[in-house]
Amino acid sequence: MNLAAIYATLLVFPVLVGIVAFLIDGTSLRNHLVIGGSVVVGALAIATALAFGGSSSVFFGLPGGISLGESLIVVEIGLTVFTIAISLWNRRFLAPILAIAQLAISLYLELSGRMPEVDPQELFWFDGLSLVMLLIVGIIGPLICINAIGYMRAYHRASPQLKGRRNVFFGLLFIFLAGMFGLVASNYLPLMLVFWEVTTICSFLLIGYSRTDETIGYAFRALNMNLFGGVAFSAAIALLAGQPDGLDLAKLTSGPAGAALLPAIALLALAGIVKSAQMPFSSWLLGAMYAPSPTSALLHSSTMVKAGVFLLLRLSPAMAGSTVGYLVAFIGLLTFLFVSLVAGTESNTKKVLAYSTIGSLGLIGGCAGIGTPELVWAGVMIIIFHALAKSLLFLAVGTIENRLYTKNMENFDGLLSLMPRVSTVVLVGIAGMFIAPFGLVIAKWTAIRAFLQVPGAPGAFMVLILAFGSSLTIFYWGKLLIKILAGRRETDYERSIERRVSRYEWITEGTLAVGVLAATALVGPLSDNVVGPWALGALSATPRVFLAIDPAMLLLMLSAVFFLPALAAWSWRHPQYDLADFYASGRSATPGHVMGAALGGIHRVTLRNYYLEGVLNGSFVFNAGTVACGGLLAAMVVVGMVVR
Amino acid sequence: MTPGIYGVLFIVFAPLFGGLVAGLDRIITARMQSRVGPPLLQPFYDAGKLMQKDSRQINPVQEPLLLAHVLMMAATGGLLLGGTDIIFVTFMFALAALLLVLAAGSANSPYSFIGAERELIVLLASEPFFILMMAAICKVTSFSTFETVLGSNQMVALQLPGVAVAFLVVATIKLRKSPFDISMSHHPHQELVRGLTTDLSGRLLAYVEIAHWYEAALLAAFTVLLFNWNLALGLAVFAIAYLFEILVDNSSSRVRWQAVLYSAWGVTLVLCGGNVLALFMLGR
Repeated sequence: MNLAAIYATLLVFPVLVGIVAFLIDGTSLRNHLVIGGSVVVGALAIATALAFGGSSSVFFGLPGGISLGESLIVVEIGLTVFTIAISLWNRRFLAPILAIAQLAISLYLELSGRMPEVDPQELFWFDGLSLVMLLIVGIIGPLICINAIGYMRAYHRASPQLKGRRNVFFGLLFIFLAGMFGLVASNYLPLMLVFWEVTTICSFLLIGYSRTDETIGYAFRALNMNLFGGVAFSAAIALLAGQPDGLDLAKLTSGPAGAALLPAIALLALAGIVKSAQMPFSSWLLGAMYAPSPTSALLHSSTMVKAGVFLLLRLSPAMAGSTVGYLVAFIGLLTFLFVSLVAGTESNTKKVLAYSTIGSLGLIGGCAGIGTPELVWAGVMIIIFHALAKSLLFLAVGTIENRLYTKNMENFDGLLSLMPRVSTVVLVGIAGMFIAPFGLVIAKWTAIRAFLQVPGAPGAFMVLILAFGSSLTIFYWGKLLIKILAGRRETDYERSIERRVSRYEWITEGTLAVGVLAATALVGPLSDNVVGPWALGALSATPRVFLAIDPAMLLLMLSAVFFLPALAAWSWRHPQYDLADFYASGRSATPGHVMGAALGGIHRVTLRNYYLEGVLNGSFVFNAGTVACGGLLAAMVVVGMVVR
Repeated sequence: MTPGIYGVLFIVFAPLFGGLVAGLDRIITARMQSRVGPPLLQPFYDAGKLMQKDSRQINPVQEPLLLAHVLMMAATGGLLLGGTDIIFVTFMFALAALLLVLAAGSANSPYSFIGAERELIVLLASEPFFILMMAAICKVTSFSTFETVLGSNQMVALQLPGVAVAFLVVATIKLRKSPFDISMSHHPHQELVRGLTTDLSGRLLAYVEIAHWYEAALLAAFTVLLFNWNLALGLAVFAIAYLFEILVDNSSSRVRWQAVLYSAWGVTLVLCGGNVLALFMLGR
């Protein structure tokens, strides 16, 4: 079968599964559909990758060369009407204005006949980056869907007051995946915009799933910000419509953008920054973590925010070397620095994970903005490892949250004793995120080396930001690790907790854990065959060695990644923490942290991590970052529009 | 000789070097306090004795974590001298230090836990400096491995005076010397008892000592990198700096962890950052 046909199936099939899931009321039947649908979606994604094979870049259209005709504008009108209706229903008025503004731009272009003719055979563009994204969405996405079966059951058991609307939830998950599949392979920008908006609306609905006042507020915050990004995207299309081949993404980004194209590039970068939740738009992603964990896992790892950095990496060849590129890089890097600072003051585990996601996205933005081959290579590597590790971490923390009824890091005390198997999975995730050389360490290392080549003061500031930012990541991951590994003598009741984790969660989290380790072990082939050639092709660069590691380094790094999970697995069968009493200044002490005091009294000792109280105020730092990056963003748009 | 051999030599001889430094440290400290002090080889006798003693473990994960700590520290030095990228080495250095934090934290006892938290602060305070220092060395010499930096015709310390001065402050932190010994005081009667190592005994404690010897040797290697044009000069500077550390250690009292963070970051930002900024602006 040819690529176009398989890809079209990949686009349509999840939508059908989503619609059927929406219509099915019976849980058991729907679960079977979700599992079956997930497996088929995964298989289709892999089949698409195989059909693409070793090609470097392929353009194609809809099967049979069908042209789009008026369908795009019809879908856009539909999405806008839906947005307006649901916003007015909830008495929100900003979103309708943004949605109408966006539609107005599209309608104006369409009706005034300014839209250039589009070649129906060049609607889609498939290259190494699309391949990576497609596999991430197509493999991690379905795993999250299956995981959600177990999670949502426990979620509704834990929150009986919420009305079950699981049919909507699963329906949205699949439609979301279809939107992502379309987005990562779009070449024609108006087509990409439609998929862009599909992901915006799906994430809005998923965030507001529980329909409490709180989550509805966060959902609208996400919707407003992303619609704002969508307006910027539309405006970029309006600017590009008058340029020859302006709406053809591949041609637009084939080299440095001229002065005529730079305004549109700046607007597209703005849309990418919003979607990837970089400052000043980080707050929508933080609100999003009040949604069920599979939603967080999906938004953070394989969809939504990754669409944002995907676009930034796509734009990288066009903006590299320009002032716009520098500003995009600084917005990303400052985001990385500021959220890493904030993460050090945060005890909510999901929030820490969210800040770490935003930081990684910022790092990718920094790489894309400067756009040397090494940096875009590093950007794609971060995408891959972050997607695997972060989806795993969110799912695992969701599993813990539903069993311990807490997401506060401080209450994860002795998790390794309490839930040894889940802990192992979490440790794989943490190892993959930050200990793993190939997650962030190699990327940060490559980035510092590349930033050393950036001339003048900007280069110095980039190196400084990275030095401080990466040290902060050690701090917040270290605190989480201490809590997990802390010794604890568990009760019989506590020992039974882990048995209540559903098999859906075991299978998916286990698969992802194996995936993290496999990707780590196979980083060489991954770099040599996929990411490296793409980076060279995208920037038309001369061949070079991206992964400059020797066997000794490789061995050391692999053992570093495998060490903590192996340690955790080793302790599955070992009695924890009752080998000896700890030192307590001669007082009697028990592992339950009750210490004897004078006159037969007792003291209960609480051990709490340092959150830099008195040194850093998290919300102040967050606001400062928002203001600083907001200023840079305004500068970016102005520079793109006026100064060029 | 290939750099790999230097790496192996480091792994074998660094503990010897670090142990001797520790022995000298104890003698000089004693003389400063009008005591005679132990024999030069006392740290080795101590470690040997600890190895034979029973070790009480609170949490079974402690021993693997500490073993990994020693191995990682040794490997970090091995990689540094063995020709690995020096910026990359700083990441491994931090990871090695983190393993000690985890070993102490996993005891989950009051003194160990606070020691672990403070060591994490120490890590947070010192790591930006090491990354910046290595990045600056790469920038000055346009080389990125130990051997090539030593072979460079650029005199690193002369172009990085700010970094060299900042090194003195950050080394105090890393060597756990007063006023920055917040995670582990050297005297059992002080505020944190023994902080990090309170609940480590027997061979577990010996691992920590050996890892610390490696750490001292690594810091010496870092000094040599800064004074890359003359090996003897580099080691002499390390000796002088170490004497200075002992003097400060004996004449100052411990500060709070906030002060450690402020001073290390301040020095890193102002001296190191200023130095790096100047380098970039001058187009080196």
